[in-house]
Amino acid sequence: MVEITLRVNGTACTGPAEARKTLADFLRDDLNLTGTHLGCEHGVCGACTVIVDGRAVRSCLMLAVQAAGSEVTTIEGLAPDGGLGVVQQAMWDSHSFQCGFCTPGMVMQAVAFLGDHPDAGEQQIREALSGNICRCTGYQSIIDGVLLAAKRSRGR
Amino acid sequence: MAAIPAERYTGASIKRSEDPRILTGAGRYVDDIKLPGMLHAAFVRSPLAHARVLSVDASAARELPGIVAAFTGTDLEAMTVPGPDALMALLGGAGPTPEFTLLATDKVRFAGDPVAIVIAESRYLAEDGCELVDVEYDQLPPVTNASFALDPSSPPLFANLGDNIARPHSRNEFGDVPATFATADRVSDFRIDVHRHQNMPMEGRGCVASYDGGLGVITVYTATQSVHVSKIAVAMRLGMEQDKVRVLAGDIGGSFGLKIGASREELAVAAAARAVGRPVKWVEDRGENLTTSGQAREESFDVRAAVSNDGDLLGLDVNMVIDTGAYPGMGTMVPGIVEAMLPGPYKLAALGFESTAVTTNKASYVAYRGPWASETFVRERILDLIAKDLGLDPLEIRLRNAAPRTDPPAVMITGRPLAGVTTRESLERIAQLVDFPAFRRRQAEARAQGRYLGIGVATFIEAAPGPRSPEVPSGPMGTEPMRLRLEEDGIVTLFTGQMPHGQSHETTLAQIAADEFGVPFEQVRVVTGDTDVVPFGLTGGSRSATMAGGVALHGARQLKAKVIDVASQLMEASAQDLQITDGQVWVRGDPASAISVGEVARRAATGRFAPGLDANLEVEAAFDGGEGGWSGGSHCAIVEVDVETGIVTVERYVVAEDCGALINPAIVDGQIRGGVAQGIGAVLLERSAYDQDGNCQSATLMDYLVPTACDIPRIEIEHLETVPLDADVNFRGVGEGGMIVAPPTVVNAIEDALAPFGARIYEQHLPPARILELIAAADSGQ
Repeated sequence: MVEITLRVNGTACTGPAEARKTLADFLRDDLNLTGTHLGCEHGVCGACTVIVDGRAVRSCLMLAVQAAGSEVTTIEGLAPDGGLGVVQQAMWDSHSFQCGFCTPGMVMQAVAFLGDHPDAGEQQIREALSGNICRCTGYQSIIDGVLLAAKRSRGR
Repeated sequence: MAAIPAERYTGASIKRSEDPRILTGAGRYVDDIKLPGMLHAAFVRSPLAHARVLSVDASAARELPGIVAAFTGTDLEAMTVPGPDALMALLGGAGPTPEFTLLATDKVRFAGDPVAIVIAESRYLAEDGCELVDVEYDQLPPVTNASFALDPSSPPLFANLGDNIARPHSRNEFGDVPATFATADRVSDFRIDVHRHQNMPMEGRGCVASYDGGLGVITVYTATQSVHVSKIAVAMRLGMEQDKVRVLAGDIGGSFGLKIGASREELAVAAAARAVGRPVKWVEDRGENLTTSGQAREESFDVRAAVSNDGDLLGLDVNMVIDTGAYPGMGTMVPGIVEAMLPGPYKLAALGFESTAVTTNKASYVAYRGPWASETFVRERILDLIAKDLGLDPLEIRLRNAAPRTDPPAVMITGRPLAGVTTRESLERIAQLVDFPAFRRRQAEARAQGRYLGIGVATFIEAAPGPRSPEVPSGPMGTEPMRLRLEEDGIVTLFTGQMPHGQSHETTLAQIAADEFGVPFEQVRVVTGDTDVVPFGLTGGSRSATMAGGVALHGARQLKAKVIDVASQLMEASAQDLQITDGQVWVRGDPASAISVGEVARRAATGRFAPGLDANLEVEAAFDGGEGGWSGGSHCAIVEVDVETGIVTVERYVVAEDCGALINPAIVDGQIRGGVAQGIGAVLLERSAYDQDGNCQSATLMDYLVPTACDIPRIEIEHLETVPLDADVNFRGVGEGGMIVAPPTVVNAIEDALAPFGARIYEQHLPPARILELIAAADSGQ
């Protein structure tokens, strides 16, 4: 066991982590942040995407101990007031999702990408989300949600 | 006239009630369940496809700190009541029942067959424990394909079956098959193959089971398409009375047919939880999901087609073989549905259909979105092959063969009336939406530049629910129950046996009930996923739109009548003069008289009424599908094939669909697009692959490829005006259609693109390597 400290959604968290424990399992099991979903545990599906120090990261491929000292944002931290962030609201308005299992990773990936590429067009967004698998929607509604979020963000 | 609300929820793209929790990470999926003292399970699985189990030694695992228990297959049999697979028992499969144990006992039948279960303080430790379980195997020759399974010399998977035939060969004839073939201008033979592929929901299977020894009650939290089917399975296998089993489900991360009832692993977890007296969780990992949860399709069809020189498809004679994998289940039932649906919306006059289901050393067959879909693939593929032989256009041959809409309706040669089917309209709409002559010009120009574009069309119908017909007096899909209650705070609660896993029933059923009862949408709650409170039901077979939508409408109407009867006494007004709008009951023409429906409920709970008045504001409604009807439509794809790399790009995809009256257009379109995406994936990417030893080669998402955002184009959808058959309920199912018809649409387009090479395509899976083979074979004149 290694004692680690990291900031998650703005709050300092300290706890013991077995060296082999993934960041995803640490978030889910130790911090009860079950919004981060595990869809493949081998870094392909993107459902477990969280933001670590400003970058979208697959929390199934990162060990908890590697996140020591980092700033982590999960789906639960996007709109701490209990509302919806711009991306979340746009995705609701666009009927982006169905079963919702890919949703947290897709939202985190979109938030991280739009943060760096506020003017992205459809093809760029498709490529940016191409590492996040959704099995329900055929992606169009998700892309529309991200485009709407980008448009609303630019309009501010 | 009093004011009537101008807008209706039904038919509008109301934003989903499910989304606020899903978008904030507050959804509750089975892996999010945590119970005090909860343990974790992992399974020891066979590395071999076919072997005798000589011994299983779990003693080393049991000694590892953190391991609470380890059970072998033999242990599990002693802890449970032997019997057949519960779903099979429920559905009443024909023929001898193969041996069925929760974990393998004397024999393993596919690579991944569970042999032991290890229960530990954490998932990590449970997997450590699995490493220490020592299993001795005596390898047997694997049966890895249907042709070997059909060979009487193949080693039988199940000793009590004696061979590898899961459902014996049968033949049925509809119409005069010999005469049709004897008099036809042409008879053509085709062999069509559909490959093995699978559901791959983002969330795999999983459950948490908790046994209360004091009450003798087991509670199972699971991901399932039917909590009641799961409950029956648990009760049967654990030898418990059904009222001692409670199954709960929350949010479910997709299924597409995979999660019907309780799997062997879930039953093993329930038995283990009872034995150890602590809650146990099991959530499969992606490797388990891809190799062991189940796979679909893998069917072959030897087809003879009787055709006129003008392009009339007169008769088909088909021999189908389905590879149902290791443990026969629903796969044995699929040929019967394929047979019934094979004529589709066409004037086919004769059908001979024979089929055999075999068992092989591969993961077991499970339902996958339109399990019978191969009927559409076979039919729509051979129509194009015939059209090519005769020099006909793909739209032309379909319009020529589509049954006209007549009164009384044309009847499929296999028996069902084609009432209200709009196949011709959908094909004509496709021709308007896609300028075929302009495409042909563009195609010719592109070919001159060495680029290969193709266009494909296919059409389908789905019995969702299917037409009412005299042969099935109980209705096309049986009966759908629903309990509805007006709560004292004015909330209308719907208790449904539907178990949504992406279909948005919390939204759609509330839309219908809100309109019919007369309350704001936000005032309707849809309760699902608890066997203690919801009626029996299943989400599957595209049944919910008609069946649950219909019972929501009829139930809300019944509940409203009851509320009005009570309000009539409270308000001293004639029931005929009362109406409910916007959550208020009021005397027509007198808005000042209004009282809220919650007020009616509160006073009903406490008030005294004249004898004979039923003031219990709850109804148990049922709906039999009404007059029913068909879902259907035509799809069109334009593709480009890169003949250097074999990569196929879907450039445009157009849908002309008739799924009856729309409840929520955005949700309907999502169902269609999702199905089309899976169909595109099935053709271009996905295959559950096995090597000759029966090892699954597609055990990761780097090997089992599913479409990404870059693989699926924008999908254009047009909804046709439907032909209403029922007085009230003309919502029809739309869950499976996209997946049923997209594969032939895309394959037809690819064959068209490869026309300059003379390619003829008889299969569904066309990854780049296969495209290059088709081109090379055509080049070499084969």
